[in-house]
Amino acid sequence: MSTLSFTLRAAPTQALNLSSLIPSKLAGLSTGDIERLELVEGPHGVRVGDVFAVAGTMTDRVAISGASQFLDYVGAGLDGGSVTVEGRVGNYAGRGMKAGRLDIAGDAGAYLASTAKGGIIHVKGSAGDFLGGTRPGDKFGMLGGTVLVDGNVGERAGERMRRGTVIARGKFGAAAGSRMVGGTLWTEAGFGPRPGPLLRRGTLIGPSVDEVLPTFGDCGRIDPVILRIISRAIAEILGPLAPKALPPTVRKLGGDMATIGKGEILLTA
Amino acid sequence: MSATTINGVVIDDTFAEAFGMSALGLVITADTPKWANICATVMTGFGTSVIGAGAECGIDRELSPDETPDGRPGVRVLMFGFSPDALVPQLRNRVGQCVLTSPGSACYNGLDSATTMGLAAGPRFFGDGWQTAKKIGNRRFWRVPVMDGEFVIEDKCGVTTDAVGGGNLLMLGRDRAGLLEAAEAAVAAIAKVDDVITPFPGGIVRSGSKVGSKYKGAIASTNDAFCPTLKGVVTTECSPDTISVLEIVIDGLTSKAVAESMRVGLKTLIEVGPSKGLTRVSAGNYGGKLGQHHYHLKDLLP
Repeated sequence: MSTLSFTLRAAPTQALNLSSLIPSKLAGLSTGDIERLELVEGPHGVRVGDVFAVAGTMTDRVAISGASQFLDYVGAGLDGGSVTVEGRVGNYAGRGMKAGRLDIAGDAGAYLASTAKGGIIHVKGSAGDFLGGTRPGDKFGMLGGTVLVDGNVGERAGERMRRGTVIARGKFGAAAGSRMVGGTLWTEAGFGPRPGPLLRRGTLIGPSVDEVLPTFGDCGRIDPVILRIISRAIAEILGPLAPKALPPTVRKLGGDMATIGKGEILLTA
Repeated sequence: MSATTINGVVIDDTFAEAFGMSALGLVITADTPKWANICATVMTGFGTSVIGAGAECGIDRELSPDETPDGRPGVRVLMFGFSPDALVPQLRNRVGQCVLTSPGSACYNGLDSATTMGLAAGPRFFGDGWQTAKKIGNRRFWRVPVMDGEFVIEDKCGVTTDAVGGGNLLMLGRDRAGLLEAAEAAVAAIAKVDDVITPFPGGIVRSGSKVGSKYKGAIASTNDAFCPTLKGVVTTECSPDTISVLEIVIDGLTSKAVAESMRVGLKTLIEVGPSKGLTRVSAGNYGGKLGQHHYHLKDLLP
């Protein structure tokens, strides 16, 4: 299967909006049309052809060669097919994504997968703050889908997140799951300080917490069936990339009792 | 009516008349196969006939841990009713009283279908506000806190209106105990067919009915034509040597599954029956005017 590839000619010097470089928006366009797509609007606008060499034919795969913190909105709105990036990307990667697969070989900036509804995102590096979070004007953060981060995750991951699963092989930064309404954050390395401030519902799973908020209550050891369901479902979705299955028994910290307290931090170690 | 005789068993040239029904499937899991079976057995209890029991229920098959959403041993049960609406109270009551209450149980959708109905619509409110939902992939699971941990129940279950109820085989014999053994063997063979249940006790019914009654208020009454003790005083369907008649009723998610069940049941009866006193196999119908599905025995012969 052929791929449509975009190769950076030189390191960009300003933020570029790459949300148009997804299969459904490129379908039916000629190379010339694609090169004329705007990545920055306005009098100092930047077009695809100004910064990328475009090659290949469009099917359902887009490959971006290059790496820059200025590559924003990579795979944003992706609704099928795949987008791969060989290096790091900027903010808002996978924002509003609905389906398909986004693979980022380097780090991702802030707001990865914010308001995403579906699909799979795999970041081989680390991810910035507000992963799956809200930016001003959003009612909720992530709404579905699966994110896998091989490295660490920044602060306030899952801010106002409602559904979906975020898995980190590394550690989550401070205040993960803040104001979270639903969904699952799962780390194989542990949570930073004070996870779950104003956590309403939703599940934080990890081996340890650096500092537990005083508004969480210790519910002791539990063995809920849902852990088996999560493990199996994620194994099915991620295949060989899936993390090790959860243990049958975990310790539950319930909260945040500063709000409705139906959320949970499940300690696996 | 010309009959065929195979291996000494007379196969009547007649047909089983079955009806279109609605059905749903559930997967019930538990910590052990024993408790999955207890839960499924109780949940499908008193589910023999839509006429008096509200729904026809039974165990389709046992499931290995690999086949269930939570990796625990499970059982697939099927429920049949006149319509999806008629299944609603049955589902709510049976799940609420028999599955929610069973130690370690969890309850999932067991039928892929474009049409769904609420599975957790009632039971989740047992959580009194502490119930939470977890959506993973396309499936939403409710977690209801209970005394042994959490009761997990899927939000919706598939329902089909293409199901068939009332496939049947009538067995006539000259030895009551032997005929029951032959019927048991046929039920065991049918149990290996997927997507079907035999809802009566042990899969076998001894009180076949006809429509109507001499008494007001009774919509069905004994099928006197197949009652051996009346064969000298009514217009009988029994043979002169008939001592006992048993029936296997089959409900299936598809017409094909019902036909296949009748085929394997018939095959088993022909193989096992002669040594058990089976003399004849027939089928129940209403003249062909009531049911949409007709299964002619001659088309199902081995």
